[in-house]
Amino acid sequence: MIRVLKRELRRIKVAPRYTVLLTLGVVLAFVFFATVMEEGQPAELPVAVVDMDGSYLSRRICHELDATQGVHVVAVYYNHTSARRAMQRGEIFAFYEIPDGTYNDLLQFRAPHIVLYSNSAYLLAGSLSYRQLATMGKLAAGAVQREVMRKKGLTDDRIMGLIQPVALETHAIGNDKANYQIYLMTTIIPGIIALMAMLHTAYVIGRERQERSVKQWMRKAGNNAVRAFLGKIAPYTFHYTLLLFVAEIIMYGPMHFPMAGSWPLLMFVSVLLIVAAQSAGCFLMGCIPDPTVAMSLTSAYGTLAFSLCGFSFPVDAMPAPMQAFSNVFPLRHYFLAMRDITLFGNGLEQCWPQVCVLVVFCLLLLAGAWMFGRQFERGLAC
Amino acid sequence: MLKRMFSNLLDIWDVLSAEVRRVFTDKTTITIFFLATLVYPALYYYIYSQEVLQSMPVAVVDLSRTEASKRFVHKLDATPELTVAYRCTSLTEAEQLLCDHSVHAIFLLPDDYGTRLANGRTATVTCFSDISSFIYYKNSLLGGSNVMLDEMNTIELKHEAAAGVSGIEAETQITPIECDDIKPYNPGSGYASFFIPALLLMVVHQTLFFGISVLCGDANENRRALRLIPPRLRGRSRYRVTIGRLLCFMLIYIPITLFDLWIVPRMFGLPQLGSVADVILFLLPFVVATTCFAMTFGTLFARERMSTLLCCLFFSVLLFFMSGMVWPQSNMSRFWLVFSYLFPSTPGIEGFVRISSMGAVLADVRSEYLALWVQSGVYFLTACLSLRFIKRYR
Repeated sequence: MIRVLKRELRRIKVAPRYTVLLTLGVVLAFVFFATVMEEGQPAELPVAVVDMDGSYLSRRICHELDATQGVHVVAVYYNHTSARRAMQRGEIFAFYEIPDGTYNDLLQFRAPHIVLYSNSAYLLAGSLSYRQLATMGKLAAGAVQREVMRKKGLTDDRIMGLIQPVALETHAIGNDKANYQIYLMTTIIPGIIALMAMLHTAYVIGRERQERSVKQWMRKAGNNAVRAFLGKIAPYTFHYTLLLFVAEIIMYGPMHFPMAGSWPLLMFVSVLLIVAAQSAGCFLMGCIPDPTVAMSLTSAYGTLAFSLCGFSFPVDAMPAPMQAFSNVFPLRHYFLAMRDITLFGNGLEQCWPQVCVLVVFCLLLLAGAWMFGRQFERGLAC
Repeated sequence: MLKRMFSNLLDIWDVLSAEVRRVFTDKTTITIFFLATLVYPALYYYIYSQEVLQSMPVAVVDLSRTEASKRFVHKLDATPELTVAYRCTSLTEAEQLLCDHSVHAIFLLPDDYGTRLANGRTATVTCFSDISSFIYYKNSLLGGSNVMLDEMNTIELKHEAAAGVSGIEAETQITPIECDDIKPYNPGSGYASFFIPALLLMVVHQTLFFGISVLCGDANENRRALRLIPPRLRGRSRYRVTIGRLLCFMLIYIPITLFDLWIVPRMFGLPQLGSVADVILFLLPFVVATTCFAMTFGTLFARERMSTLLCCLFFSVLLFFMSGMVWPQSNMSRFWLVFSYLFPSTPGIEGFVRISSMGAVLADVRSEYLALWVQSGVYFLTACLSLRFIKRYR
């Protein structure tokens, strides 16, 4: 095994191109997510007002909207069409439409209607701007109510109880500000590193086949496929585990991502993720003799992991066959374990099933090596 | 003059037919071009076909046990987003359920809930939500605040009735201004309707890119890069060669693009508000820009068949986040905005989603459309120049 390892290190030294490129790729991805989503939640989302009333009330709504946190009034329109076009041009995510005569109706207690349009074709920006604007609408109505009640001689304390008898306080566990960056990066960065580890492993095995150097490789391992595989993937295991550790240390350290559980357990699960991903790559390469076809299949499998790990769209909301299918991705189990450790502070007693599944994934390496060995004996693998 | 034009056309035809032959003799390219573009849309649509998470299990801790608190719990259970799966007697018990992931949120009604309401003071309900997926958080927030608003109405009506005010007068006092909300695009806030249109465009972009890269990598790897070019054209006609290859990929990809971006959304009942003419006109420069981009990249950087798959696959994830579908482009720094416009997928996704999901016309996506044509022009020139690089290289 040591001889295979030495041979592989030599090969990397001769052509370090991909190792360097992929490391730069991880850095690029990390810097991208870390800088783009720095605010946590998109702030100052562009919104607008269609003011057909032109009254004291409509201008006041405009001002209050502009003062609302998270949104920013970029334009005031005087008809519906121009606001709709602005939304279709992607200039605004939501707008209030205040029809003609709103203020008059209000003064005469005729309960005027104002309309809030929001664009949920952009799920995050649409729902955020909707929430801010809807809350503001309620507050504006509350302000009117308060004025009426004050004139009736009620105290402020009493008025609050009348205007808002029930309040809802929401706390997101582990991520109280609902920071999008924390939610995204904790899964996507390990996902990208695991994807690279898998592809790189598959690539170096496929490369041996393409270069017709399998015989030489196997000879170094004493014609034992398991030893040959272990020696071959070890440098990459080390490399990608190190990258993942560094990423995690930066995220949970200086970037202050929530970390409720134990560090060693997270590190352990991270190592398992890398080895499991590599084993999946080995398995696919062992199954399929044509390296290019195997590589395409590995790529397809690798990209699906991001959707099926269930961090964006929960697995419970997928059709039953897909719920079962989601289990064949190591990233899914890493995600479940990582959530337990970092957000809920659970220990091994809670996430042992995920750890076990990841260990089973690691055993796929043996299956891949066994199949590769059989092909080699039959002379198919060179 | 006429003769020269004819011979130029003939050259282009030769390159085109040679390239078509290459595509159809390469197993991997056939798989990427024809199988991936068929399987991915169907598979992804199936994954997200339920659009929203319904009846998410929650636990309720009702310490007040009054009529008002019971009504709140009933209303929570009645929302489409939430289902009250457990009624706990203490917060510790509920926390245990949350840690086991039997529920994704806890609603705590404190013991003074009923008394505070009876005294006419604000009573607070606290919600603890799982945020491992944003959808869990969104569901608890949406379900919880809808119940809160409804309860506010009920309680206020009672107060008004107690004060001797009823009927329309009471209603107008409670809601002096009524606010309707309309979601003109993706009214159900569905995940498939949001994600699939962008994903379909991404599939076209990435398959075209990887397919061409595999072909270029194959040519570079096997030391027969010059075979891209028929012998009599070598060294003389970079533009004719590039046009020939471009036409070949357009010939193959225009039907695929129309299938993926026009027929597939119809098959799956996804939002389709744009007109077919706008879609076709918009996608034309998209295919040209992507092809030229891939030809440039492939000729210059794809040294082996598999190297692009290895090095660029992770980029698919980044490209999606650069497009502004998730994180609005108005909130990106100038650097990333400029960087994202190096890739045809950015204006492609922005424009296509607005045309198909939001019924925009071509004039509304003017800047994206222009960006795609500029990319087409620039990448066409670089594709021509990259051929020159091969010759010197060999």
